[in-house]
Amino acid sequence: MMTCKEIAELLLDYLDGNLPKEYCDIICQHINLCGPCLHYVESYQLTVKISRELPRTPMPHALVERLQAAWKEIQEMETREEQH
Amino acid sequence: MTIANVRIPDGKPNGAELTPELVFLEHGPRVYNLARRMLGNDADAEDVTQDVLLQVVRKLDTFRGEANLSTWLHRVTVNAALAHRRKRATRELREIPDPLELFTENGYHSQSPKPWSATPDLLAQNKETTELIEKAITELPEIYRDVYVLSDVEGVPNAQIGEMLGLTLPAVKSRLHRGRLLMRNALAPHFEKAEA
Repeated sequence: MMTCKEIAELLLDYLDGNLPKEYCDIICQHINLCGPCLHYVESYQLTVKISRELPRTPMPHALVERLQAAWKEIQEMETREEQH
Repeated sequence: MTIANVRIPDGKPNGAELTPELVFLEHGPRVYNLARRMLGNDADAEDVTQDVLLQVVRKLDTFRGEANLSTWLHRVTVNAALAHRRKRATRELREIPDPLELFTENGYHSQSPKPWSATPDLLAQNKETTELIEKAITELPEIYRDVYVLSDVEGVPNAQIGEMLGLTLPAVKSRLHRGRLLMRNALAPHFEKAEA
């Protein structure tokens, strides 16, 4: 018999399939009978999925310009060094 | 050899010719977003992004033949972000929340969780939702945030995260789990279906 809190503590290993079968059976049985735990597990999985779907914020235009200017400066410096 | 014409494997059999400009445009956003999420601050993220990308394009020739480019970029960015944090010398003073505080002493849910209202793709495509998730990430304690961002946002395998952060695999998994629980708790009030 496991409590809801104990189920929550083992969720990562349970969902990754890293628990012994007897633990998995107990957790599976608990989730099937406990509505709050079912919603808890589903929301845990959704949290992971939505994080993976997060879009990337584009780099600010000013940063791109700063980078290009800095890179140009490095190249010019290297060219001067080569010439000496 | 000029670093402008170095060929990088990048996980592809033939490799694509990678110029500094291409590094800035195609890989810059990955570096910028990782730094931004780890540091929780746009200005710091911009400084780190500039340092990392210039460091990367200057060392493209030494990189050749190593692991793939994304792994290398993650590693360099994590190091730069951690160094930036140390330089800033700001320590988190707030207490680290208990991710299992929503359970009673007897181990029951203190507030009964409800089903969430939308699918992941719908949630992530909505600007307001995206901001909510980003804010929740920023509010994670640093010790959980780094692992969470690398694993669940960037998709870096746990073993690699351990190498990057100097953590054992069990420590990575423990921090990841606690980060996920805190994220779930932060998002639940916004995403749970209203009671009929």
